[in-house]
Amino acid sequence: MTIDAPTPRTRVRRLPELGVYEREQVHAILDEALYCHLAWIGDDGDPRVIPTIHTRIDDTLYVHGSNASTTLRGIKAGVPVAIAVTIVDGIRFARSMFEHSMNYRTVIVYGTTEEVTDIQELSRVFDAITDQVAPGRSADARRPSDDELRQTTFVKVPLSECSAKISDGSPEEPDDDLALDVWAGILPLHTTPGEPQDDPLLKPGTPQPPYVANWRRPGATPA
Amino acid sequence: MPITPSDRTQIHRHPERTAPDAAIVHAIIDEALTCTVSWVDDEGRPRSLPTIQARIDDILYLHGSRAARAWKAVAAGAEVCVVATVIDELVLARTSPHHSMNYRSVVLYGTPREVTDRDELYAAAMAITHHVLPGREADAAEPRDKDWRETLLFAMPIEEASAKIRTGPPVDDEEDVALDVWAGTLPLHTVVGDPVPAPDLRAGIATPDYLTGYRRP
Repeated sequence: MTIDAPTPRTRVRRLPELGVYEREQVHAILDEALYCHLAWIGDDGDPRVIPTIHTRIDDTLYVHGSNASTTLRGIKAGVPVAIAVTIVDGIRFARSMFEHSMNYRTVIVYGTTEEVTDIQELSRVFDAITDQVAPGRSADARRPSDDELRQTTFVKVPLSECSAKISDGSPEEPDDDLALDVWAGILPLHTTPGEPQDDPLLKPGTPQPPYVANWRRPGATPA
Repeated sequence: MPITPSDRTQIHRHPERTAPDAAIVHAIIDEALTCTVSWVDDEGRPRSLPTIQARIDDILYLHGSRAARAWKAVAAGAEVCVVATVIDELVLARTSPHHSMNYRSVVLYGTPREVTDRDELYAAAMAITHHVLPGREADAAEPRDKDWRETLLFAMPIEEASAKIRTGPPVDDEEDVALDVWAGTLPLHTVVGDPVPAPDLRAGIATPDYLTGYRRP
């Protein structure tokens, strides 16, 4: 499945020159984001949102839930959702307050959910979502049993109606502000790991795997 | 103002992670750099948009835009759900199903009103600049009349809100604790790189102090 031409919902209207519909760029943003905001409509007709984690396999986006969650129970059975991810790359300082902005990459996905029930697909998604957060981890941690797989809810949405908005570059200001005595430029922001903390119950002598100490987001530029 | 759980802010999954305290809700809103605003469109479908926010006391201010249709729906009185999330640590358990994150998130419901009073607009614009980078609001050039006409800010009371927080090490099943797999937490931080001056920056303007050592909040 491919990303369709923009629909009225996914066409970017504010700063339309920033709208990005290319599939590779949409995929890269989804792959780099650590979490997403999942919106659906409650029984009362009002919007509901939860933060959760997601992963992508080819042109399908999978979102993690749990059988215990009343919210996700509500969205298992084919309901329309909106999924938003946002990565802030830097703060853009203009000379005037009004022209301040951020450099960011964001994706909005619209679609109707389908619950993942096939045990092999669940297993693939489990690996992918584990590696989405910590690449390399799925080959190291104990794999889920079939019972554990069945206890976990994943819903999937095809990446067909979605768009990305990417803002990068330098501040843009009216000419008459350029002479102001105010610093202007970009302050880059990065998500970086601190010192890994051993679990208090860790079996003595268990080495810390390199993918923990060297953790970084895919595509992220080093700080 | 106290924050009391309503039916929709009542947390059902992991209720022990609920934090109903207003101070905790406020701190998460202050620390999260961005939030996601969701509403229901004319055709009954959910819609979402990321934006930046700021808080003054018990009021949440949202940064809008006159061009984006999202804000037209909000200006027309749509009920919204605002979510802000801060990821503090990755939680690596010995078994993949027990992996988790230590996070703080806020879910807030309400009907935003457009800010039209000039004094409130000014205070909210200052608060949003301060939210993103404390100190900048006193340094940058003040908005002109034209800028104000293009600025769209919304206010909503922080009343129907809940926070959810996870902290601490991974929780594995007892029979898995003896496994030869590393387990623990990996703290994540938002750090700044070196400031990059604008190509057209006038010579002789020093990098301001508030750019160095920046951290959230």
